[in-house]
Amino acid sequence: MKKLSITFLLLLFIVASHSRPVSYPGGWTVMQTNELGNHNLHIHYSPSAKYSIGYRGELMDQSDIKFHTFQFNRLVKRWNKPQEQANFYWKSGIGVFTSNATNNNQFGVFTGFAADWETRRYFTSYENRYFYLNNKHKEFTQKARIGIAPYIGNYGDLHTWLMLQVENTPQNPDNFVVTPLLRFFKGPVMIETGYSDNDEFLFNFIYRL
Amino acid sequence: MKQFKTKTLISICTMFILGSTLSNHAFAAKGSPENGFNNCPQAVNVQVNGLVCDFCARALEKVFSKKEEVQSIKVDLDKGLVKVKFNQDQSLNQTVLTELITDSGYNVVDFLPGCSDG
Repeated sequence: MKKLSITFLLLLFIVASHSRPVSYPGGWTVMQTNELGNHNLHIHYSPSAKYSIGYRGELMDQSDIKFHTFQFNRLVKRWNKPQEQANFYWKSGIGVFTSNATNNNQFGVFTGFAADWETRRYFTSYENRYFYLNNKHKEFTQKARIGIAPYIGNYGDLHTWLMLQVENTPQNPDNFVVTPLLRFFKGPVMIETGYSDNDEFLFNFIYRL
Repeated sequence: MKQFKTKTLISICTMFILGSTLSNHAFAAKGSPENGFNNCPQAVNVQVNGLVCDFCARALEKVFSKKEEVQSIKVDLDKGLVKVKFNQDQSLNQTVLTELITDSGYNVVDFLPGCSDG
């Protein structure tokens, strides 16, 4: 029943990622995320408002894989409405993957899409990623979020969101993980913090230059 | 015949000079710093769609701050407005303003005079 409800949530909120992977022309973004045993650093530069290029370094605790990749993010479509916005992104990367188990370097790739819809009060997002290193190491993950702002702040205020994230990694023993989290942002800084139902901390930090 | 040719030549030259003067004037008007509001050239309020996220709207500040004509911008999320103030005797035309806002990821709906607090 729990799985059914979560699947329903995933299907219902087929939308947005927690951080926009494309910025304004000439903009740099630094993202550092730690969630569910994955630690990653993504630094990207947006030559235009339509795409960004950057570096992603990631450490996956569970599969003991580290990788350094070149990542390309594309804003496929944006819908701007008077009090709402929705986005659809395509993200992909190619790079070198290392595993302590095999102790060798291999080329690997990943790809996925992210979508979001938000108003000033409500937020929903969905993103997925298919990661392929070799036949032994391939992984599909997807996550969805819903959020609500307890108060509506204006430009320059401290903004607060209450969010619920559901992550599904079919090949993991805990294939559904639910994480309630708080998101704060003010100016160019965004911070998210949460604690999952499998006892993992979530801490994400984003800075826009 | 010769007089007719001279008259024709003078007419063509006059038309050419007149034409190029008018076109230069028209070009100057198009390229001049007009925000579309003669009674309020120093400020404009731009009604924008998609203005829902403070963190994302920072892009507007960054994009506009690169223009030397712009003194300051203020984003009003409640009204969906971008309020642009220009430096003394400077302005940006609506085409440039639209381009800057589109580059920031938003859509322009309308331009309003910026001297009243629209």
